[in-house]
Amino acid sequence: MHLQLQYFLLLAAALFCIGIYGLITSRNAVRVLMSIELLLNAVNLNLMGFSNYLDPQNIKGQVFTIFVITVAAAEAAVGLAIVLAIYRNRNTVDMEQFNLLKW
Amino acid sequence: MAQFLLQSVWLVPCYALIGGLLAAAWSPGLIRRTGPRPAGYVNILMTLVAFVHSLIALSALRNQPPQALSFTWLNVAGLHLSIDLEISAVSVGAMVLVTGLNLLAQIYAVGYMEMDWGWARFYSLLGMFEAGMCALALCNSLFFSYVILEILTLGTYLLVGLWFNQPLVVTGARDAFLTKRVGDLVLLMGVVAILPLTGTWNYTELAKWAETATLDPKVATLLSLALIAGPLGKCAQFPLHLWLDEAMEGAIPSTILRNSVVVGTGAWVLIKLQPVLALSPIASAVIIFIGATTALGTSAIAIAQIDIKRSLSYSVSAYMGLVFIAVGTHQEKTALVLLLTYAVAMALLVASTGTIVWMNVTQDLTQIGGLWSRRPITGISYIIGAAGLVAVPPLGGFWALLQMANNLWNSQPWLVGVLLVVNGLTTFSVTREFGLIFAGKRKQMTMRSPEVLWAMVLPMTILAGLTLHVPLLLQAWHLLPNWASINKTVAGLLILSTAIGCGTGCMIYVNDNWPKPVQLGSKQLQDFFAYDFYTAKLYRITIVFVIGLLSQIVYWFDRYIVDGFVNFVGLFTIFSGQSLKYNVSGQVQFYALTILIGVAFLGMIVSLPLLFNSPTF
Repeated sequence: MHLQLQYFLLLAAALFCIGIYGLITSRNAVRVLMSIELLLNAVNLNLMGFSNYLDPQNIKGQVFTIFVITVAAAEAAVGLAIVLAIYRNRNTVDMEQFNLLKW
Repeated sequence: MAQFLLQSVWLVPCYALIGGLLAAAWSPGLIRRTGPRPAGYVNILMTLVAFVHSLIALSALRNQPPQALSFTWLNVAGLHLSIDLEISAVSVGAMVLVTGLNLLAQIYAVGYMEMDWGWARFYSLLGMFEAGMCALALCNSLFFSYVILEILTLGTYLLVGLWFNQPLVVTGARDAFLTKRVGDLVLLMGVVAILPLTGTWNYTELAKWAETATLDPKVATLLSLALIAGPLGKCAQFPLHLWLDEAMEGAIPSTILRNSVVVGTGAWVLIKLQPVLALSPIASAVIIFIGATTALGTSAIAIAQIDIKRSLSYSVSAYMGLVFIAVGTHQEKTALVLLLTYAVAMALLVASTGTIVWMNVTQDLTQIGGLWSRRPITGISYIIGAAGLVAVPPLGGFWALLQMANNLWNSQPWLVGVLLVVNGLTTFSVTREFGLIFAGKRKQMTMRSPEVLWAMVLPMTILAGLTLHVPLLLQAWHLLPNWASINKTVAGLLILSTAIGCGTGCMIYVNDNWPKPVQLGSKQLQDFFAYDFYTAKLYRITIVFVIGLLSQIVYWFDRYIVDGFVNFVGLFTIFSGQSLKYNVSGQVQFYALTILIGVAFLGMIVSLPLLFNSPTF
């Protein structure tokens, strides 16, 4: 079986959708961050796929991927810092307890 | 000099108007220190000037053809409004009558309005009335006649409402204004409709036009009916007659004027319009019908009243009905003579009964009596006024009625019958009042009743003298019928009807042995006349009810449907804002979902054309 670009893209889309599902349904704030990581990794998979199949000479997609990984790491760090800050105040990481800024 | 005064006779209304304006200065709120009396004196002075001026002008008019004056009032595209004046013996004579009666009524008011603070308002309005009536007499334009009639309607409202702290005065003034206003408004329709047909509002030109006019009978009828409606309300004819009854709540000096000349303003316009009205035989028939029913009905109602002033006011409607009959049968000259004789006599009657009211407080005929020996001047004046009103041979009313009956004798004999009945009933009515006031035993209210002070007696006696001299005046103006041409049968019948009315009146009311209060058959019948055919109730269940209901419906529709729709828009906006804010749930994950759905939706819209347009993809 010859690996095609579509398979990479479909896998990445599936991963992205799993991430979205986790992002919207998780009650634990850390799990929300983990879902965001899934999203970013799905994006990376896409970038790698496009880079290999459409741009094998310049591999700009791989450069993008490097940047995304870097920024994702920083983002995850800041995200965990925010979760910790909230946890200190509210003693919980349940997303359903964080609905103070409503109407 | 006289010629100059004749040329400037148009100043007469201005005098009265100036008098009225000057009088306003002594309103209790303006000149606070002197009291209100100078208002009356100033007004009397101006009225005297107006009277003398018009009298000299009248004498200068002898054997002169009528003159016409015209001022331009407004000249706009296609419409030239000019104030046309006619200086003729009739118009200046009418001004003499108006200013003369005003002078007497104003002197009368000096006595009557003693102990009243409202002289400024009262005399201002009298001055305004005098000015309006003089202007109407001079005015030779239908349009400006209408303008003056409307101003006089407003004047009636204010004058009836003089003592506005009395509730009945307020309702009376309201009815007087609205009833007359309705007539005037329909008159306005006629005034507006006549311009495209004739191109003019000048009475003289209208008469000339009417001679040769060929008009669609329907148009002529509708036009004439509209033109009748104004005088109908002004002259207190059926069915717009209730206002005159309620207008009796006003002060008596103004009643003198109202009963004698103000109600005549409508008749004056009607007489002037007679050539136009003659175009439609239906309109003439309607005028006759209205006049006859009003004359018969109100002269019967007058008998059943127990209020002196109201009893006389219904006789006013009756005599205006006779004027209507005269106009309907194309006798303008007779109508004018009748207006003259009637005005003088009725003014005297009201003045006489006014002195009774002033001294005895009550107006209730059943509570007064036996005043003849105490109040001879008033009694004699009353008799003269009554005799001058109805057909008593040497006096004025007889000649006017005789002339009218004479003209009707061959063409419409049944109207002579109406005339005789009205004359008989009115004679009975005035005799009844005389009997109740002056004859019989004195009652509690009339135990002590001295004659009133000179300011009221003087105008009354002058009026009495004037009533006695009316035949001489008629003779001097060649208005008496030729002795040979008098229909002896008609004259005999008229005198007979007077005699019967007077005789039965004397038998029942002057005769002390007849039991009082008099019962007429059944109670219902008596009440039917006493309550004026229940006209007030009739108005209330017909026109007032319908208008009231309609305005309530319209109010409801506006309040709930129109306002409701607009308010609904606002409420809907508030409601949507209030409910849509719950979209801001405070859950970050929900926001994320919203963004996602938005992006997915947008992506779908963007990619839809791709899906459909590129099957190869």
